[in-house]
Amino acid sequence: MTSPHPHLGIRDLLQTIMPPRLCALCHDARAILKRPKTGQQICKECFFWVFETEVHNTITEAKLFKPGDRVAIGASGGKDSTVLAHVMKTLNDRYEYGLELFLLSIDEGITGYRDDSLETVKRNQQQYDMPLKILSYDELYGWTMDAIVSQIGKKNNCTFCGVFRRQALDRGAASLHVDHIVTGHNADDIAETVLMNIMRGDIARLGRCTLICTQGEDTIKRSKPFKYAYEKEIVMYAYFKKLDYFSTECIYSPDAYRGHARAFLKDLEAARPSAIIDIIHSGEMFEVKEEVKATQKSQKTCKRCGYMSSNELCKACTLLEGLERGMAAAAVTERARKKLDAEGPAPESLRTIPFFQQSRGPHPSVALERPT
Amino acid sequence: MSCGNPAVEGDALMPRRKKYDKTKFCVKCKEAQGSIVIRHAVYCKDCFSPLITHKFRRGLEPSVNQKADGPRRTALKPDGNLLVGFSGGLGSTVLLDLVHRCYVSMDQSTMPSDGGKNHPRHEKVWNRVTVCYVEISGAFPAMRDRTPDVEQYVATYEGLDFVSLRLQDAFDPNWWNAVHASSDDQRFAADMTSEELRLSKLASTSTSTPLQSLHSYLASLPTATAVPTAIETLVRVLLLHTALQTDSSHLVLGTSLTSLAVSLISGVSQGRGYNLKEEMQEEWMPDAEVANLRSEQEQTSHDTKERRSARDGRRKGYVRVVRPLRDVGRKECALWARWRDVTIIGKEPWPWSGAKQGIGALTREFITGLEKDYPSTVSTIVRTCTKVEPKGESAGLCALCARPMQEGLQEWKSRISIRSRDASHDTPPSASASLTPHLCYACHITLTSRSSRPAPSLGLTPPALSDVPLPVWVGSGMPRSAKLSEQQMKEVVQDFLLEDT
Repeated sequence: MTSPHPHLGIRDLLQTIMPPRLCALCHDARAILKRPKTGQQICKECFFWVFETEVHNTITEAKLFKPGDRVAIGASGGKDSTVLAHVMKTLNDRYEYGLELFLLSIDEGITGYRDDSLETVKRNQQQYDMPLKILSYDELYGWTMDAIVSQIGKKNNCTFCGVFRRQALDRGAASLHVDHIVTGHNADDIAETVLMNIMRGDIARLGRCTLICTQGEDTIKRSKPFKYAYEKEIVMYAYFKKLDYFSTECIYSPDAYRGHARAFLKDLEAARPSAIIDIIHSGEMFEVKEEVKATQKSQKTCKRCGYMSSNELCKACTLLEGLERGMAAAAVTERARKKLDAEGPAPESLRTIPFFQQSRGPHPSVALERPT
Repeated sequence: MSCGNPAVEGDALMPRRKKYDKTKFCVKCKEAQGSIVIRHAVYCKDCFSPLITHKFRRGLEPSVNQKADGPRRTALKPDGNLLVGFSGGLGSTVLLDLVHRCYVSMDQSTMPSDGGKNHPRHEKVWNRVTVCYVEISGAFPAMRDRTPDVEQYVATYEGLDFVSLRLQDAFDPNWWNAVHASSDDQRFAADMTSEELRLSKLASTSTSTPLQSLHSYLASLPTATAVPTAIETLVRVLLLHTALQTDSSHLVLGTSLTSLAVSLISGVSQGRGYNLKEEMQEEWMPDAEVANLRSEQEQTSHDTKERRSARDGRRKGYVRVVRPLRDVGRKECALWARWRDVTIIGKEPWPWSGAKQGIGALTREFITGLEKDYPSTVSTIVRTCTKVEPKGESAGLCALCARPMQEGLQEWKSRISIRSRDASHDTPPSASASLTPHLCYACHITLTSRSSRPAPSLGLTPPALSDVPLPVWVGSGMPRSAKLSEQQMKEVVQDFLLEDT
């Protein structure tokens, strides 16, 4: 074996051939894993400790919560949200955050995918002893993703799903009377989004995608406690904790552009693992110029459903109108939107989304499934 | 949390489009059949040349005058000379050709026809135009030295001065002294095996040659990404100091739209988000001390006077780095060269197996691939990056890359990736003992961030040194431990002294 660093001493050489077996953090237990984020060889207990402490640091540095907050965990049954629920519960107990935690799931109505993953969420509800609320697209919009895909095909279906999910989460949270939604977005997701927003020129999103917490004027706070957690470490955490999660990719997946960005990011990470954190750091180090911000649209309220919007109608209402009138492309391309407008105003009988109201009463306005 | 599946069939969101949208005829004259498609717009050969010269002038001339808002239409009055960074590649060759046509040989075809022959625009703008080539073959033993070829090539253009440097000059005190007319700067070495990058003073009796120092430095870099990034930084800072030496207020680089997009994305991927602005255009002052001038003018007036007298007779202040081809894509550069019969020497491929593994190379491959299918991507990237600015105040210049850096980097890093359970390890070492506090995020990452795939060997045989010599300019930005002179002390306290009457 030839050393890549010919000037290294004999000790370094030995270390290359026979890696140290002791944990680099506690110097006591045997190292059993190599941390994807730092490359350090550490033991299982220290891995749990650094992973949880880093999330705790993220939470405390950003002052995300205050005692008594009602916090909903956006739970899909996948690895990120399962680990998030576990870590949130652990930290809430350990550091006495004083939070009231809920699980909030959205049922997109995808047979063979979401119905299975929701079973996982229901088990999590038992395991973590947290109240669970499931809100379905069918209930809210009158359309399941299965029905949407059967009308529009697989192309662009992620646009519908993404817009609908965002609003559904806010509506679910409002019905739970929570102050805050936490989601399982991890460092890889955020790095990927930074790159994608630069490449697509989406300046508004670029400005906010690295924020840990986003909040509009009257919307519920949303934050990402796993902002600096590597996807690989989340999987590792779930694996060593033997957490119960569902790991299948969505069956209607294609988002080609994100796919490009993701493949590129994986190459970067392979070249230098710190790349993920480095990209997030880059994203945090710049902001949108004031003069550019001035040209951005201000936030309005959707005249049809009361949800926040940058136009007269919010994106979800536009998409829904397109679906109902059989012109699903209306919200996706400008040309199709004009065609839709040319056909006259929306009929009175059009199905719409129930009016959005953020109630701030002391008790949830919906029935919760209590763990049994 | 995303449901995106990377295994995707076809381009679902952005379908491939026709190369030209409406017509085959030139969008400008609307008569001739087009010869080139530039992002969906068709141009004929005759309209193409004025388009490129226009883009070139538009890229450079607004920043020629020291104050951007002056009467530029009638008078371009730069503060100093012009330095052209030349690598032999496509971009810098086209840049050299344009600079020569527009400002040296005063080629009439490059000038707008309005305003008559005696229009002030037709006067010479630059007193002296110097071309600087930095030979990097010192980094790769198997690489041919092309300085004579480049010198010969540049000589085919009349009226240009030529300066050639070598990469190892960055480690040569003689070069530094020649540029800065001083010999008191101390030189440093760093222990590259730890995150902390412990500093030591390099003994003035050190026997290693600049080439050996360069080899030690490059061989100590941990990844295939770090080597090209470090070389790029060395070349850029060498050019900046050469600009000072040649009394140039402006340094122009041949970065095309395509390469700018690549360097922006590659910069973001290496943690250089704070310096995106400098990636496009930057104003550089000789060292941290001078950069602090503006804010501390009062306090440091004495010190500055000293520095100025050291470089007496020279233009003081800044070097403005401009990339006049930042609106011109790679394809347009290639066609300019072809239609104007410009020979391209080309860059020598790096005889190193790591050349394609780094983040820079991966980004180039990715962006050029994307550019083929989505031709607007590169300009979108560049436009997006012009709309952002660095967040927060700068904490001086990075000792290695001479660009502004931000504060609190080490605290941020230790908070989000814990490397020790022992709290005492978190206290940063004092500023004089460690290089880390003097580095920007990206340079620190370049020197310390490791990968399970170490950099392939460069085939260098540097002398076995525990401490790796740093580029000569690293000393100049460091705080000096020298005592205050009596005069300086008096200046500090003089407002509080009662006059003896």
